[in-house]
Amino acid sequence: MPKKASKLGEVVKVGYVAFVLFFAFVPLFIMLVVSFKSNEQYMANPWFFDNPATWKWENWSIAWDTVSGYISNSIFVSVTGTCITLCIVLMSSYAIARYNFPGKNLIFYMVMATMFLPGTVAALVTLFDLLMRLNLVNSLWALVVMAPVAGQVAGVFILRNFIEDIPKELFESAQIDGAGHFQQIRHIILPLSASIISVVCIMDFLHSWNNVILPLLLLRDNDLLTIPVGLFRLDGEYVKQYGQLMAGYTIASVPLLVIFLFSMRFFVKGLSAGAVKG
Amino acid sequence: MTEKTRNNQVWHRFKLRLMLYLLCLPTIGSLLVFSYYPKADVVLMSFFRWIPGQVLEFNGTSNYQEAFADPLFWNSFKLVGVLLLANLVKLWPGILAAIALHRIASNKLRYFFQVCFVVPMVIPMMVWLLIWKSFYDPDFGLLNRVLNGSGAMDILQALDTAMPALSNALQPAFNGFFNPVFGGLGGLILLGVYIFALGNRKEHDQSRWADYGAIFSLALVVPVMSLLGLMSTASGLGITLLIAVGVMFWLSRRLGNSWIAWPFVVLAGVVVFWNELWRLPLTLVVAIGVFELVRAKRDFYTGKPVLMMIALSIITVGAALVLLGKVWTDPIGQFETGTPAWLGNPDLIVPSLIFWGFPWVGTVGVLIYLSGLQNIPQDVYEAAELDGVSPLGMIWHIELPLIMTQVRINLIFMTISTLTAYETFLILLGPDGGPDNRGMVPGLYMFRSAFTEGRFGYACSLGMVLFVIIILLTIVYQKYVRVDK
Repeated sequence: MPKKASKLGEVVKVGYVAFVLFFAFVPLFIMLVVSFKSNEQYMANPWFFDNPATWKWENWSIAWDTVSGYISNSIFVSVTGTCITLCIVLMSSYAIARYNFPGKNLIFYMVMATMFLPGTVAALVTLFDLLMRLNLVNSLWALVVMAPVAGQVAGVFILRNFIEDIPKELFESAQIDGAGHFQQIRHIILPLSASIISVVCIMDFLHSWNNVILPLLLLRDNDLLTIPVGLFRLDGEYVKQYGQLMAGYTIASVPLLVIFLFSMRFFVKGLSAGAVKG
Repeated sequence: MTEKTRNNQVWHRFKLRLMLYLLCLPTIGSLLVFSYYPKADVVLMSFFRWIPGQVLEFNGTSNYQEAFADPLFWNSFKLVGVLLLANLVKLWPGILAAIALHRIASNKLRYFFQVCFVVPMVIPMMVWLLIWKSFYDPDFGLLNRVLNGSGAMDILQALDTAMPALSNALQPAFNGFFNPVFGGLGGLILLGVYIFALGNRKEHDQSRWADYGAIFSLALVVPVMSLLGLMSTASGLGITLLIAVGVMFWLSRRLGNSWIAWPFVVLAGVVVFWNELWRLPLTLVVAIGVFELVRAKRDFYTGKPVLMMIALSIITVGAALVLLGKVWTDPIGQFETGTPAWLGNPDLIVPSLIFWGFPWVGTVGVLIYLSGLQNIPQDVYEAAELDGVSPLGMIWHIELPLIMTQVRINLIFMTISTLTAYETFLILLGPDGGPDNRGMVPGLYMFRSAFTEGRFGYACSLGMVLFVIIILLTIVYQKYVRVDK
């Protein structure tokens, strides 16, 4: 960046960024404000908190009763899905990066090709049919099974490059000491590539956390819904209690925010990497 | 080496290979079953009338014929076109935000803002959608309150009578001048695009005539075919399509990377001049004439700016006329009550979708641009400073050219997601795309055909059409991105 920046220039830059961020955060602020209001209070004044004495705390308790189930479903799907994805990715990228064997490139290109073939959109109908025949409709396991399918592509690409850069001698000496493939993965790759793995995990986790279409099609029972679909159903109810809805949105946003606060660095890195991957 | 050790070695290698394949098995298996199989199945099922578990009968290409004749499907692509054009405008706030963020002098402040840009991504996407949806609510929504409070609603109300009047006043100009001369405003803009595309050509030797001929051959495929009467039957249409794709492929090989856009620009011409195809070669001749005139006097470096200026002013005039005369042609009649239903009125849906997410700074985009900006070496700035480039000029001369790759990546990302993503539309407007199907995008139409109308085979054929379009776009974009790397 230019070294000598004028005062005015600085003000303009900070002002513009702040302006952009203001619009990003206003919806969140309004969400919080409205979550304490009844519909009448929302109608009268949506902009700021009312007198704390009139806050509608029951919005939060009602919202918690409905949303907490969705949150636990979402956590189950995202955590299991991400763990499975990670295992699969580690195994195959270890094999591809460390050894030469016939068909290795074919496998790698097969994985990469899915990145360029338009994913679930064109094939949504047949995918649904397949999952129906596998008896996975109305089951959270369908989402767990589908998580690695999209998630492993970027993972294999990133991890393969990373593992190829690890010196061969490390693996060889471990092998002489009698370490098997899984031990090599656990004791060499995991510690050395912890940061890049966490990046991959965050990308996958966010992906299944935000997945809408598949759960919308597959899940029928109310107590199986994940956060996005659950919130969508709540929004579709006939008489809207905005306060309860907004409290629900707030509660649904909290789990990831908490994780975010503890691993900010990885998030910033992970999202940039995910962004470049497109 | 004894027989035994060699056997041992072979066995050892076999065991290792087996183990490696086993390690890759989950990846291969899951992709084959859940990614490749459904995609292959789509191709197959698009030739069937199909309701899972009930009906499965082969009906040839009739799904495709219906898809190509389906006005709703075509209109959904029109909406995508409008949204893509809007994307070209929506791109800029993000680029500027990234540049501003990158240039903030204080490191701490910069990191703080960077973290702030990540926070919105941590909030579930659905929460954003639903909050914004609540903003559009006619009675409760903040949008209407802001408009009413700031007096903007009165301006909209005034425009609601002024714009249709202006459009009416412009109508004689369209009928008397633009339609007969250019074949409509689309033709005018297309002329600008052709001149723009030609302006990028560097060589000015004898080979250009052969290249013009090659472009003409593509421009003539469809008109000749329709003269021969082949366009009326389904098989004739298929043959025309095949020939056109073949010529397009040949053309892209022949013209090379710098002219890669031509096959697609010519194809766009076919769409624009669909009812008067003889205008397409004519427009090409005019564009080439302008190019030859300019280049006869100037070389590439002095001629290019002139050509760009001509092209851009034609495009600007065309676009301005479209905006003034073709968009707001009838009064909407929603503003005098002060509570327009943004997502409930057919005329307001598209503007609402375009306004969606103001000020259009996608956090992903900002992060991509930042990664590009961070690679710009310090001395480039210092050199520019010595040359007396102002801070604003640096945006144009340093940062934009150097993050072009990232901008392109983001543009690809935006284009493909505009073409494929329909979650937003489903959530905002329902499976019908709102009143009058104004908010119908191709993906949503596919979704509706399958899951609300139960026409799964038809949905598969729609999916295939989308699939082909996206593949073509990806190939073109891949070429573009690689050229600059």
